Amino acid sequence: MALSNLREYVRPDGLDMALSLVKEKGRSARVIGGGIDLVRSSSPDIETLVDLSQLSLSYVRQTDKGIAIGATTTLTEIVEAPVLNNYLQGVVVEMLRQVGAPSLRNLASMGGTLASAHPWSDVITLFVALGAQVTLYNGVTRMVPLSDLYASRALLSPAIITEALLPAYAHGTAAAFMKFSRTKFDIAILNCACLISTQNGDCESVRLTAGGTPQLAALLPEVAEVLLGRKLSQTSIGQAAEMARETTLVRNDLRASGNYRRELVYAGVKRCLTCVSTHLSGASQ
Amino acid sequence: MRICLTVNGKKQELDSTPGDTLLHLLRRIGYKGVKKGCESGDCGACAVLLDGRVVNSCLVLAAKADGHCVTTVEGLAGQEKTGELHPVQEAFLEQGAVQCGYCSPGMMIAAVDLLAHNPNPTDQEIKEGISGNLCRCTGYVKQIEAIRIAAKKMRKSADV
Amino acid sequence: MCEQRKQEFTIVGRSERKVDGIALVTGKPKFVTDIDLSNMLYVKILHSPYAHARITEINTSRAESLPGVMCVLSSKNTPSTRYTTAGQGYPEPSPYDTRMFDTKVRFVGDRVAAVAAETEEIALQALKEIEVHYEELPPVLSVDAATALETAIIHDEKDASGIFDPARNISAKIDINVGDVTQGFAESDFIVETTCETQYAQHTPIEPHVVLSYLDEDGRLVLRTSTQVPFHVRRIVSYVLGIPLHRIRVIKPRIGGSFGVKQEVLLEDLAGLVTLRTDRPALIELTRQEEFVSTRTRHPMRIRVKLGAKRNGVLHAIEMEALSNTGAYGSHSLTVLSNVGSKTLPLYNKAKNVRFSGKAVYTNLPVAGAYRGYGATQGYYSLEVAMDELAGQLGLDPIELRRRNHIRCGESSPIFEEIGEGREGVAQTINSCELERCLEIGAKRIGWAKKRGSRTRNGSWVHGLGMSIHMQGSGIAQVDMGAATIKMNEDGSFNLLVGATDLGTGSDTILGQIAAEVLGVPLSKVIVYSSDTDFTPFDVGAYASSTTYVSGTAVKRAAEEVRGQIVEVAAAMLESDITSLAIKDEQVISIDGRSVTLAEACQRAMYQADQFQIGAMASCVQDQSPPPFMSSFAEVAVDTETGFVKIVDYVAVVDCGTVINPKMAQGQIEGALVNGIGYALSEVMLFSPTGRVQNATLFDYKILGALDIPPIDITLLDSYEPTGPMGAKSIAEIGINGPIPTIANAIYDAVGVRLTKTPFTPERVLSAIRSHST
Ligand SMILES: Cc1cc2nc3c(=O)[nH]c(=O)nc-3n(C[C@H](O)[C@H](O)[C@H](O)COP(=O)(O)OP(=O)(O)OC[C@H]3O[C@@H](n4cnc5c(N)ncnc54)[C@H](O)[C@@H]3O)c2cc1C
Ligand code: FES
Ligand code: FES
Repeated sequence: MALSNLREYVRPDGLDMALSLVKEKGRSARVIGGGIDLVRSSSPDIETLVDLSQLSLSYVRQTDKGIAIGATTTLTEIVEAPVLNNYLQGVVVEMLRQVGAPSLRNLASMGGTLASAHPWSDVITLFVALGAQVTLYNGVTRMVPLSDLYASRALLSPAIITEALLPAYAHGTAAAFMKFSRTKFDIAILNCACLISTQNGDCESVRLTAGGTPQLAALLPEVAEVLLGRKLSQTSIGQAAEMARETTLVRNDLRASGNYRRELVYAGVKRCLTCVSTHLSGASQ
Repeated sequence: MRICLTVNGKKQELDSTPGDTLLHLLRRIGYKGVKKGCESGDCGACAVLLDGRVVNSCLVLAAKADGHCVTTVEGLAGQEKTGELHPVQEAFLEQGAVQCGYCSPGMMIAAVDLLAHNPNPTDQEIKEGISGNLCRCTGYVKQIEAIRIAAKKMRKSADV
Repeated sequence: MCEQRKQEFTIVGRSERKVDGIALVTGKPKFVTDIDLSNMLYVKILHSPYAHARITEINTSRAESLPGVMCVLSSKNTPSTRYTTAGQGYPEPSPYDTRMFDTKVRFVGDRVAAVAAETEEIALQALKEIEVHYEELPPVLSVDAATALETAIIHDEKDASGIFDPARNISAKIDINVGDVTQGFAESDFIVETTCETQYAQHTPIEPHVVLSYLDEDGRLVLRTSTQVPFHVRRIVSYVLGIPLHRIRVIKPRIGGSFGVKQEVLLEDLAGLVTLRTDRPALIELTRQEEFVSTRTRHPMRIRVKLGAKRNGVLHAIEMEALSNTGAYGSHSLTVLSNVGSKTLPLYNKAKNVRFSGKAVYTNLPVAGAYRGYGATQGYYSLEVAMDELAGQLGLDPIELRRRNHIRCGESSPIFEEIGEGREGVAQTINSCELERCLEIGAKRIGWAKKRGSRTRNGSWVHGLGMSIHMQGSGIAQVDMGAATIKMNEDGSFNLLVGATDLGTGSDTILGQIAAEVLGVPLSKVIVYSSDTDFTPFDVGAYASSTTYVSGTAVKRAAEEVRGQIVEVAAAMLESDITSLAIKDEQVISIDGRSVTLAEACQRAMYQADQFQIGAMASCVQDQSPPPFMSSFAEVAVDTETGFVKIVDYVAVVDCGTVINPKMAQGQIEGALVNGIGYALSEVMLFSPTGRVQNATLFDYKILGALDIPPIDITLLDSYEPTGPMGAKSIAEIGINGPIPTIANAIYDAVGVRLTKTPFTPERVLSAIRSHST
């Protein structure tokens, strides 16, 4: 049996009620999104599951701040949301199509995907690069950068993710994502993403991430530094990729050695930047 | 606990426990076409449609499915006007896409979801559609062919 | 003998639908666990956490006293008979080195105890209550450690038999000499030597092992099991449990894939014993984790091949030396080892001097067993990579080198006679071989002449082409036996009862097609029932690519006998001579145009005159094992920045004799190729320093999915094997031998590095490229 000590499955119809359940029961109660990780964990600690499906949190909406995605929205619903096709050259859709398979994406929720914080998560690697924000509810509502959530897991205990926000970007911004895996239906040996805004062709802001190193996605500030104020050219891209190879923290695990991951960071950063460069030159024509 | 499920169009009140998975529940009540290959979401043998979308039933708590509609392989035949078997089943048979047949129920369910949302898929889209369904016998070639043929047949019958 | 004998068939040669197809696509309860038995017990197995240890004490009383626990089995209360789990013909050529529950464990995952309980949860709970004291022994975790001077002895038990040299951890050994290789190499103008190593890999059928046992109304033990070898299961369970064979019935329903891993008796003894002890049905269903950890794997091997050739490119001497890791038990250790040589070396029969030697050694790692390809897969890796290397040295096109050396119709090889399966082989002459056409067509379809050696670049990706050729066998000559019974019903239909085992391969269908062809009826008039030891005649089971060739011949003979009986009845009805009668379209037709239907003939025989049951049983043992042949070609692209290898195109051209059912035959090759590509590129079992499998899930052990498959182009050649049923030989295994050497050779063509260790993971490829260029 999957969760042998599970005793109750609750579908509260208000956020406060959901929160009070998790607050009251501590670690024995969990919020369930798709439930993929919870069921796979078979954790004997879990006694109560709090299902958020009655809270109207399934949506993908264009707002003036960007694209808001409700916590119970499935990855499939996100892939199929028309607004994402034009958001940053469709990079979110392109990434999500590489996450698991339809039979998983139809279950996996935005909230669960961000909360589970798998170190190899493709979603997190891209979303951190995109500067995504998350809305948390722990009695009060507040919005924090997604990366803060991983810097301090305390933010989630106890709190419920209600929404993720992908910020709106002006013209002249492009993003890219790369995943390396052993087979196509597999988690990443390494993934990386970048978001670049340019002003007159010069990189004005640069966010690069690498995930599955095998740690959770982290920003690569030294690499970004190489590019700031410069144009994307074969030379600058090459230098940035070299910097990524040298500075990214990598380790061995079952899937690959740290040294090999270094090569993948190099190739991944190079390819992401090349792709962004193509996007940007395409857009400026 | 009691849960209410509509399985293949039939509404049923069922006994379950909170930790029960949809896979176990469905097999227990006789839907043996739902297969078990890993119980961890890795193989797709247990795939069913939950409100029309393919999911791995080993990852779904029965409680989560409470009040929802499930379609298993047993419910595919007779759904479409084209004949007894569903066009996807027909094509799987005709193309030799079934060897041992253990992955076939999940694979066909994934194909039915795909074709419902994308009636004219490219080969790449077909592969993506069944990418979570592992088959060790066929090498996927005939399954991809079968789905392509089923799509064509379904588009034709939708036209008339 | 060698010219094509064209024959016209009606049912044979058509892509008939599978006879079990409708039931499978509609999800009918056809598999082992798809039936519900009341009162059933759930059995769970306690596996060893240690790679090598003695069990000094085992206390099961706490587990036994748990409410709901019906039976706990361990070394204390189970038979101590030594046997082999290998489901092979009797006497098995594998050592008797296994006990139901031993007092020593030899790999992480070995059986320690088992619990049967009212529910799975209770059984699992009870496993935790079993106290086991282990005295740890030094684990032997590699073949090198196993053969080192100072090594722990894995099989130190006194009652084992058939082990070649237990004190040196050698399970099996082989040494075959033809001519004189030393002199052969001395006389050669060119010599190459290659050593390649293959990994631990698992079959991963999508249905894990499962067995359901119960007593029938007469108290006989029924085993409904996912097996390739129902008759061997019956014999081995009878032997292990010490119960008469006639008290056991084994039924194989539909099974969810196998590929060799179910050619083993891994659970049936246990389920059977639980049922006998408790009088209740018992179910053992392995989890995916257990499937990885405790079942069987492919034998990892290190194989050295040395080739000597004359200046004209003709091979003069071949030396092949294999070191095989059989894991903790010697299941199939000798026979898989034998096949490394016997299924590869005859291919190059021009070499007059051949030496094949090898050892299969024990280690404290998971147990190897039969796996599609059965040693040939490992052998071809080294052999075909060495051939590629030799072509380079000779400055010959690799295809041309094969042309100058491969066996041809009407020829033989001394190897056929020298190496059999655990004993001497049987001499044979090749009666059908279309390798020349395989090469020609394959080369054309892959674009060999234009693309090979051109190293086309696309960014960091470089393209390359590789090829290899292969043969396998069709059953084991003078060993494998299959039988079939056909009886006629009064509506003109037939029951075909075969011991042959359909694993999903479609053998029920093709055997039905063979019967239907002979009997002049559509396939729908043949009701196929297979693999039930109470109701079907004997068959060794589904392995060694034997079913079509051996069992198919038995079916054909039975059908011919039945046809003769029908004609005789019809002759009496039509008052004509049997020589003037023919069967066609469900009728017996006389040359003068008069006819009776098959139904009428049977009705007469059954109810009206000279009554008897029209029916026959026939058996078949073949004197040869005609090899199918294949050429295998691939275009790959290698990413020089990351080491990723992408298969751009795969071409295989196969000579399997008459193709009984084209779609099914293609399916066999497609499935085997994709399995082989996964084995070449991504599949590998990883072990911790203590010998535990670290990636025992499909999440971590990566088999290929739909998105990974390249375009696959298969041509089945029209050929004819005179000794086969309707001219057929085998097709099930050969495909899996292609990918490893073909891809290795293609990578070499692209980037100039020889990969001598599988799988060719991106990391390995990149590191090979890097160390090559520095
Ligand atoms: C076979 C397989 C393949 C996969 N492949 C990939 C891949 O290629 N790339 C990739 O990135 N990922 C992959 N994944 C991971 C997958 O994306 C995650 O398992 C999934 O996204 C989890 O989402 P969920 O909604 O099911 O989480 P759940 O299981 O519902 O929840 C996970 C955790 O988050 C908590 N939680 C859920 N919702 C909230 C909320 N709103 N607020 C606060 N906490 C919450 C839960 O309490 C739990 O602790 C794969 C998984 C599997 C099983
Ligand atoms: S059994 Fe559910 S995915 Fe394998
Ligand atoms: S047909 Fe056997 S696993 Fe797909």
